[in-house]
Amino acid sequence: MISPSECGCPPPAPAFTPKDFRSELKPIWCPGCGDYGVVTALYRALVAIGRPPHEIAFISGIGCSSRIPGYTTAYGFNTVHGRALPVAQGIKMANPDLLVLVAGGDGDGFSIGGGHVPHAIRRNLDLTYIVMDNHIYGLTKGQLSPTTPRGSVTASSTHGSMEDPVNPLLYTLAYGAGFVAQGVPADMEGLTRIIEEAIRYPGFSFVNVQSPCVTFGDPEDQLKVQKTKLKKLAEMGHDSSDRLRAMDLAQEYSRSLYTGVFYRNPNPPPTYDSQIRARQKTLQPHPPEGGE
Amino acid sequence: MLNDLIIGMAGSGGDGIVSAGESLMGASAREGYYAILTKSFGSQIRGGESSCRLRVATTPVLNPGGALTAAVALNWEDFLRFGGELPVDSNTIVIYEQKTGVAPDAIPLRVKPAVVRCVPIEELAKKNAGTLQAKNNVVLGLLAGWFGLGRQAILEGIRRKFGKKGAEVLAGNERAYAAGLAYADEHPLPDGQQLAPAAPGGGKRRVTDGNELCAEAALFSGCRFFGGYPITPATEIMQHLQRDIWKHGGALLQAEDEIAGIAAAVGASFAGAKAMTATSGPGLSLKAEVLGLASITELPLVCVNVQRGGPSTGLPTKTEQADLFAAAFSSHGDSVRPILAPISVEDIFGITVEAFNIAEQYQTPVIVLSDQEIAQRKDVIDPVDTSGFKLVDRLKPTKEDLQNYTRFKFTDSGISPLSHPGMKGGSYLAAGIEHNERGDPTSNGEMHEKMNDKRLRKFTPLKQRRDLFRIEGDPAATIGVIAWGGVAGVALEAVRLAVAQGLPVKLLIPKLLYPVAEEIYQEFFQSLEHCVVIEQSQQGQLHRIIRMWTNVPARFTSFAKSGANPFSPAEVVARLTAIASSLSLSTR
Repeated sequence: MISPSECGCPPPAPAFTPKDFRSELKPIWCPGCGDYGVVTALYRALVAIGRPPHEIAFISGIGCSSRIPGYTTAYGFNTVHGRALPVAQGIKMANPDLLVLVAGGDGDGFSIGGGHVPHAIRRNLDLTYIVMDNHIYGLTKGQLSPTTPRGSVTASSTHGSMEDPVNPLLYTLAYGAGFVAQGVPADMEGLTRIIEEAIRYPGFSFVNVQSPCVTFGDPEDQLKVQKTKLKKLAEMGHDSSDRLRAMDLAQEYSRSLYTGVFYRNPNPPPTYDSQIRARQKTLQPHPPEGGE
Repeated sequence: MLNDLIIGMAGSGGDGIVSAGESLMGASAREGYYAILTKSFGSQIRGGESSCRLRVATTPVLNPGGALTAAVALNWEDFLRFGGELPVDSNTIVIYEQKTGVAPDAIPLRVKPAVVRCVPIEELAKKNAGTLQAKNNVVLGLLAGWFGLGRQAILEGIRRKFGKKGAEVLAGNERAYAAGLAYADEHPLPDGQQLAPAAPGGGKRRVTDGNELCAEAALFSGCRFFGGYPITPATEIMQHLQRDIWKHGGALLQAEDEIAGIAAAVGASFAGAKAMTATSGPGLSLKAEVLGLASITELPLVCVNVQRGGPSTGLPTKTEQADLFAAAFSSHGDSVRPILAPISVEDIFGITVEAFNIAEQYQTPVIVLSDQEIAQRKDVIDPVDTSGFKLVDRLKPTKEDLQNYTRFKFTDSGISPLSHPGMKGGSYLAAGIEHNERGDPTSNGEMHEKMNDKRLRKFTPLKQRRDLFRIEGDPAATIGVIAWGGVAGVALEAVRLAVAQGLPVKLLIPKLLYPVAEEIYQEFFQSLEHCVVIEQSQQGQLHRIIRMWTNVPARFTSFAKSGANPFSPAEVVARLTAIASSLSLSTR
């Protein structure tokens, strides 16, 4: 898809403002939570996309971050723990015209709902999955999450974690995701652009947001520190069409804070939803040709 | 002449015994008879023991029947493995393979059958077709000859089946069939074993099973999304739907697991489509949490559960009625999900349509409790007359509603207009978390109380649906029978027999099992001195659920057994006779 800036013409006035996507509900998040930045970046990205709120379905699971659909004016569905992806796929299959967004935390997506990730990727419906990765279970007050680093002391590991974290970037790439990116609320402009690009990608797109937990998270993960640590992939000259290089960089997850697009498939394959449309068209009884 | 014939056959996996049953079924349907064919296997994928029973009659058949008119054993080990599924009594004609080496007076049965015929089936197959694979055609010849089943229709069936396999193969099988016929003619049975001719006009009937008809009914009802996962004995519902749902503009997802299957269906319903999932016991356990999600978000959904023996993997290939508790109490919290149960293959069409209608009307998940027998047995049925069915759609918001849309608005009925994405002004948050009328999350106790009340109040009119209950017999009868699902067909026949014998019996068949329609039961109980609930579960689950909600008669008993142990009409009549004599003793 060509964005207005690429075609050289003056950008038309946007049809919406961030306010149009913000609901009246006050977030339950702690002051300083990274998720505020994510929802703000999302409002801005949706302005750039330009679809009206009622054509957007925003699906989440359970966790602090999964409250996010309620803070938008889209049709929201705050489902059960770990099942946001299958619910979202049902929605997109039933109505491929909708813009479908999915969000949740690292526990929701990679622990209890981890089994759904490879299937959502291989099925390749055109939806965008945003994970707010804070390396901790915040809503239940500070237990180990699937992305907590080994050795971490948490409410459920007072002697230190004895297991390795998963690597969301590496395994979404390995499963074959066509769009994999990482952003941070410390770089709002970058995060907004990443979310916009993810939505524009025709197929399953994955955005991992390093969204710090201000209450139970590691002090080294907080916004102020992020600003000093982040390295923008674009500035490093990374070629986002190079999947193997993307996987090399993804291996640095939890050591280096890379932000930007790791991989975008330059030749996106047909989406599942477009294939549904095609099959419906082929199999539906055609009206008889000609007339009497 | 016989008006009703029950044939049971058993053999090893490769003997083609089930295929012989299917041939007989097809031939019977073409000749204008009604019939039910049930198949039973060990749980092996291939091989192992297999059996079938075919009940053929001149009038509609209500159940697979009790003791066999004819029993065919290709070997005794396999036959005996099916125990009560192939019951032989003193009226049965037993036909068995000579090669078993068992003398006719030494056959391993507890009762002495009326007639025993030891036939060189294998020898006839080898001699005439040159292959043991033709054994089942010898058997078909024997049965056609002895019981007057459609000789010509069976032969035509053999020609259709083997015609493509070359002239030599076809000729061999035809010879095997003819040899069976000749053997029967040379060794006639005592008189009176021939099936009476079928009434004319039966040609429009079809052979189908519960899973196929359920899928057809779903499409008829407007189902436009199915999410599911393969599981015995429910898989065929998905297989039938995947062929045709696209033609109707719908879509189907074979999901990565049972939870994803129902979750996608809930998503599709949220998006505005009539949606469905289907499973069996283990899958129902997995889907429980998402059923609760559909209840609190008030989204229409049909969940078919084809019952098999449980708990856990249990008896995957055998029927049982022990998922009623699991269905009624399938998810945590205070929630009610209507449960409907078909009583026959034919009945599942209307029940499935009703399930979609109730789901849409009350914005709720509905569970259809089918069972392995109804799902997989073959019935000859009259074409379904769909002209009487009305289809219900969810209540949609009006333009005025959309001015200030309140998704979970409190109304007298408890039903609030339901929007879907794409509808301007209809945006709301559907959430598993408790919410206020607008849909905003809350943990306020008063609001929770009101919302629970709204969600439960919706079902008040449903409990008055007398058309979801079938009552037979004299309203003043002192003995009551309650039966549901597949067992209801046995109870219907048994009650008719009992009434014919002069017993004061009436029958209640609930097709709506939950929520419990207290008033309808209470009315039924009024004349009763004794009520017995007949069902195929060890604990008598419906018996216990009725007790929870109603004031039952002083004598309220359970006639229950575990799955894979079928009820016969005769044993139900015997139970009713015993109840009647105990009542007359106590009043003396």
